[in-house]
Amino acid sequence: MTPRTRAARREGLVYLAPALCALGALTVYPALWVIWLSLQERMPIFGIERFEGLRNYLFLAVDPRFWSAARVTIVFTLASVALEVLLGLGVALLLRQQQLGRKLALGLLLLAWALPAVVTAKMFEWLYHPAAGLVNFLLGGRQINWLGDPALALPGLILADVWRTIPFVALLCYARLLGIPAALYEGAEVDGAGRWAIFRFVTVPMLRRILLIAALFRTLDALRAFDLMFVLTRGGPAGTTETLTLYAYRSLFQTLQIGFGSAVGVVVFALVMAVAWAYLAAQRDEDTAG
Amino acid sequence: MRRLALALSLLVFAGACAERPDARAPITLVFKHAHILGSENPIPKLIAEFEARHPGVRVKAEALPWNSDEQRQFFVINLEGGSPGFDVMMLDVIWVPEFARAGWLYDLTPRLLPQELSVFFPSTVEAATQGGRVWAMPWNMNVGMLYYRADLLAKYGFVPPATWNDLVAQAERIRAGERNPRLDGVLWQGKQYEGLVVNVLEHLWADGTDVLGPGGAIFPDAARADFVLGFMRGLLERGVSPPWTTAADEELTRRAFGKGEAVFLRSWPYAYDLLQQADSPVRGRVGIAALPRHRDGERGEGSTGGSHLAVHRGTRHPDLALDLVRALTSERAQRLMVTGAALYPTRMALYHAPDLVQRNPALPEIAALTLAGRPRPVTPYYLAISTLLQPELSAAIVGVKRPARAVADARLALGFVLRGARGDLAAKISAPPSPSAAPR
Repeated sequence: MTPRTRAARREGLVYLAPALCALGALTVYPALWVIWLSLQERMPIFGIERFEGLRNYLFLAVDPRFWSAARVTIVFTLASVALEVLLGLGVALLLRQQQLGRKLALGLLLLAWALPAVVTAKMFEWLYHPAAGLVNFLLGGRQINWLGDPALALPGLILADVWRTIPFVALLCYARLLGIPAALYEGAEVDGAGRWAIFRFVTVPMLRRILLIAALFRTLDALRAFDLMFVLTRGGPAGTTETLTLYAYRSLFQTLQIGFGSAVGVVVFALVMAVAWAYLAAQRDEDTAG
Repeated sequence: MRRLALALSLLVFAGACAERPDARAPITLVFKHAHILGSENPIPKLIAEFEARHPGVRVKAEALPWNSDEQRQFFVINLEGGSPGFDVMMLDVIWVPEFARAGWLYDLTPRLLPQELSVFFPSTVEAATQGGRVWAMPWNMNVGMLYYRADLLAKYGFVPPATWNDLVAQAERIRAGERNPRLDGVLWQGKQYEGLVVNVLEHLWADGTDVLGPGGAIFPDAARADFVLGFMRGLLERGVSPPWTTAADEELTRRAFGKGEAVFLRSWPYAYDLLQQADSPVRGRVGIAALPRHRDGERGEGSTGGSHLAVHRGTRHPDLALDLVRALTSERAQRLMVTGAALYPTRMALYHAPDLVQRNPALPEIAALTLAGRPRPVTPYYLAISTLLQPELSAAIVGVKRPARAVADARLALGFVLRGARGDLAAKISAPPSPSAAPR
């Protein structure tokens, strides 16, 4: 390293410093503080505050409610992300085919994505209403208690989430589809490829990266899912829709266990980081391979 | 200069402390309360009367969110913050020990005369007493009780059931005889919320056990807790209670019973007024009784509830705030509240006042049930306990967990969360009245 590059590097660091400081103050410090809290037993209004190492985490290992919340979170994430990516891709392909009213379709699609989650949740509350809901009406006037039945509540939530976020995946895919050169398709046709082969060997490879990014964003969101459950079921019935974030919220704000709630929060944080890292690693492999 | 500044600030300070209202600097008291429903909300009238008696004092009454969880969250966040901006607060009885323990409430003990408290139901005063000090004044009262269809019971020659097994037998017999598919047996509150905890507690007490034992043990008698939860789940499985019980709260059950769709209902006194309204299909056909007992219990006890008025410890006007509390809990105020808003008095004498009894002949009976009632565990940790119990109890009622599993899981969770509170719990739990204490 020449003195000159060293100086340039130093100068670069000076320019970076404000951003690094801001990031540190806004993300690293709170993250470390939450980890520190998670090592304590803390119930502020009762004046309980003592360090107890990993005890909160050791309890999590045997806490059936935590494992149930983890299971709910994972089922919710896998099912909703899979459906969203598949259906989003389908919608994008249909959009590309559509000639008439494409702008209108795009606008309508955006509407679902633009609605605040709480509004979406309230809307689904009415759709799912056992006596007055549209869903039961369309099913021939049955009285299915969608959100009150332990077997149906989670699928109901997944459906609401899928409805809300298909547009996100669809728009990402659609934008990428528009960018695929027509020459590729023409070449494939000249080579005698059928529709399926074109989809399989041209469209999918060209979309792979954007699908990976869409799935990454959706997975990270789904792992932290809170708003739909909070409004629609509050984690019920019987805890069958309680996600990890809802459990953390309950512990922090309802039973006022700052230490234990933080431990649950740290687990969610670790889970999200691990998944993000795995996705990025997969993407890196793709880059080096391609 | 500095001395002048000091003198000035002292002057300001003294002015702030002196409770001498004058025209230039009117004092404002802020009173936070839940929405008052009913034909005639008496609060504005009572506040106007208070202001007339205290010239220069203005009272701002501000309504809290509708939902009780959100009300408590509002209080906790603002009180923990230190300067909450209110002086008098309406508290659900189960919050009083927690708020007192957190140091948020003004200690009323030195200012209250013993005879001032003896007019209230003893259980309400007990619920507001923590560490030998009184932290709040009882405002209105509730007690769990059994409503029954007097016409149906009479038709089949039954008297109100003494045990839950009798109740089931009567309900099944009447349903079989009536051949009305819309008629359910017994309605109660099984949704995942505080109301479910109350229902389970009443069943536990009816079987002679409790959720907290001496020494702070959780579900001290696991076998009986298992039996009780199994019995409650069984009500749904046998069809004595409808499947929607798992989502039922007070209003849902009260409305169904009010439409004549059930033989029995477990509810609070407020339902009586609504069931006896002129347009009610069951008007004049409803009786009330004590809750039944289980096989191992001596008698059924209804859970007491209600709300209290407390003064914030940091208020600048404790005397005025206490005056306001006294005015709102006065005999006159409680009269207006029971006639206008179906909020039942905490003053025992009102249940025998001839004019009130004429309006509502059930009052003396409700008073007897209240005296025989029992408070939920009086401990600062009650909210934590209830919140942790709710998903487990709900799981057992819904049927996704076997009762024994739910009891074991609840024990595990509560044992962990309350690990730092064991001493506290052991000290407080010795208090509940023994079942043999006869109603006065």
